[in-house]
Order: sequence, then structure tokens, then C-alpha cells
Amino acid sequence: MDKKKIARVAAFRYKILAIIFLVLAGGLVLLPKYQKQEGIKSETLLSHANSTERYISTDQIANKIINQDPSFILIDVRNEDSFSNYSIPNAINIPLKKIFDEESLAYLNQNQFDVVFFSNDNFYADQAWVLCDRLGFKNLRVLNGGLNKWFSTIINPKMPNEDMPDEEFELYSTRKAASMFFGVVYSDQVTTEDSNVKPEAPKQVITVQKKKKKVAEGGC
Amino acid sequence: MKELEKVKRISIASTLFILAVLIGVLTFERPKNMYAMNTKTTLEKLSTNDYMVSLNEITPEVIIIDIRSQYEYDKGHLETAINISTPDILSEENQGFFNELKDANKIVVLYGKSPQEANIPFMLLYQLGFDNVKLLAVENNYLQNKLITSQIDIEKPVADIKAFIAESVKKSNASKTIAEKTEPVKKVVTVQKKKKKVAEGGC
Repeated sequence: MDKKKIARVAAFRYKILAIIFLVLAGGLVLLPKYQKQEGIKSETLLSHANSTERYISTDQIANKIINQDPSFILIDVRNEDSFSNYSIPNAINIPLKKIFDEESLAYLNQNQFDVVFFSNDNFYADQAWVLCDRLGFKNLRVLNGGLNKWFSTIINPKMPNEDMPDEEFELYSTRKAASMFFGVVYSDQVTTEDSNVKPEAPKQVITVQKKKKKVAEGGC
Repeated sequence: MKELEKVKRISIASTLFILAVLIGVLTFERPKNMYAMNTKTTLEKLSTNDYMVSLNEITPEVIIIDIRSQYEYDKGHLETAINISTPDILSEENQGFFNELKDANKIVVLYGKSPQEANIPFMLLYQLGFDNVKLLAVENNYLQNKLITSQIDIEKPVADIKAFIAESVKKSNASKTIAEKTEPVKKVVTVQKKKKKVAEGGC
């Protein structure tokens, strides 16, 4: 009698176990919902976004371009029309809408270069940055102030007033030299050499090259 | 008897297994503040939806949120604005608040010192699924400690750079005979001073 009972319960157990496993398997279907989270956590993204270290100034970029620093790529996130009208030399055009296209990802998702986003302002560039940073892309930067600041600082630097400190004048002359590099011609510049302006520009650049030495000293 | 042994072992093993699974499920922590959208859909929505709001579109039903710091908020803020600074935007309390507003179908408008500043919390909330969140296209400045709010356009080019460069080239070609204004150019040499600075730092 006892044996029979035990055997019956034993047979029943298997069924219970099978049902429990089925329920658990059903639970697995619900799990992927949590795993849908793409990219880094929202808290991490917020803390990244709160720090301003992603911003790079127009002066830094101008310096890098003039020194032919190969370590970065400029990404213009404006539309094609604005890009074809004017952009920073050597920039690549990836309109904001297309940043997740296959060919764009090749530029954005790599560890070799610093990626510097820019637009007219840093509004769209920041949006591109947020989306790419969420996906965990490395070395993303944003040009602070975008092309508007590029214009007001590098292309058309404002002459400092006479009562301003010496540094302002230094900065102005550096920027002016940079603007000549980027194609702006000043009327006083033409006097030194007759008409051909372009040879002038490289001469001005030499001053900026001195910064190269800086890096060597830093290394020591 | 041997068979019974086997059955016992199997049932013990499976109960342990189930226990392990149960513990796993119970201790599984649901991540907080989950994204409701992946990056691609966010991008699509950003390019199709209109999320910029101008000052005159604000009605009394709209909830205005100031994302600047408490200090800035106390100094001056828009009327009826609520202060939730960017770093606190994901806190439980504030997320609950946003959820309530979303359930009540209210439009939430963020503003900061500039739209650029409010852009970050906006993007974050947007990706978390709060598509009732919008951005106020204003810039806040202080004039004699009074908050001045002015409407601005985002991403508006200040100047046509290409035209500017072309203009400068044209100008210089036209006035070839301007003389003796070379002094400011000479000043370029002063960049050397910067060099000294870094050398000192290096040592």
C-alpha cells in the first residue's frame, strides 16, 4: 500500500515539476523587455552630459588644423546645402538625420580619431553627441559655439580695445594669423608683398608652429 | 528501491534549481529610468516632431521648468516656473513628477540660460519617453540683476562666412596701395610668451 502511494506521488511530482519549468520558461519571454535597453544607462549619460569636457574651443581646433594634427576628424552635422556653402576645412558632412547610417558609423564608432561635432551653434552638435555617447562611442567632442563662434573668433576676430590686457592682443594676433590661414585677407597684409596674398598666409602660420615645440617640452 | 532513490535525487535537484531561479528572479533589480526609445527612433522623432516652443506660445496650462541651478533660479526666473536642475532630473521624485505630468497630458517646457543648456535634459527626458517635453527657445541674461528673457533662434548662422572671406579678398585686391599699417601684424611674435608659460608648467 505504502509503496504504491509513494509511487503515485512520485509520478505526480514529475508533472508538477514540468509545470513549474514551463511557467519559468514563460517568464523568460518577459525578460527580454528589460534587456531592450540600448547603450549606457541614463544616469551615466546624464553625468557624461553634465561635464563640459566634451567641448573643444575654436582656438584649439584652429591650432590643430594649422599644425596638421592628424588625430581628429571634424563632423559637420548641418545639412548638405550649408555644408557646400561653407564649412571648416577638411570637415566631413554627416547631417544629423543620417548619423546612424552605415557609412556614418564608420566615422563615428572608432577609437582611432577624436570626433569633433559642429553645427552653426552647438545645439545640433550636442544632440548628435548625446545620441552617440549613449551608444558608447569613444572620443566624442563638440565644438563649443559651433560655426558662429568660429566666425566671431577665428575668421573675424574682434580687435581688442587699447585698454585691454596684453593677452587680448596676443590672442587677437594669433587669431588674425589663423584667419589668414583660413583664407581671410586683410588690407594691411597686402602691403608687404605686392599682390599675391597666399604666400603671406603661411608666413603668419609660423608663429603658431611654435606651439609644436610646446608639446616636446611637455614630454620632458 | 533503487528507482525510488533516483526519483528522490531528481526531485532534490530540481527543487534546488527552482529555488535558484526564484532567488534570481526576486533579486533581479529593474533598472531605473529606462529609455523608452532607442537612439534611432529618437533621432527620427527629433527630425519629424516640432519640439521648439516660442515664448508667445505659452499658455497657462503649460508647465514651465527651469533647469538651471537653484542659485540661478532664486536670482530670477520666469513666472510659474518650477526649478528642477539638470543633475537632479533623474531623481525618483522628479521622475514621478514627470510621469504625473505625462499621464495628465500636460505639455512640459524646459528652459535654461540658453536652449543649448536645456538641450541636454531635454534629450534625456525625450529618450526616456517623455514626448510631452518641449524646449523654450529663449535666452536668459541679466541686466542690473534683472532677468531679461529674449526670444532667439537656434542654429541661426550669424554670418555667411564664405561671403565674408570672399569680401575680404575682394577688398584687399581693390585697395592694393594702403600703406604702413603693418604694426598689428608684427605683434604676432608675442605668441612666444605662451611658450614660456608651458615650459614653467612642465618643470
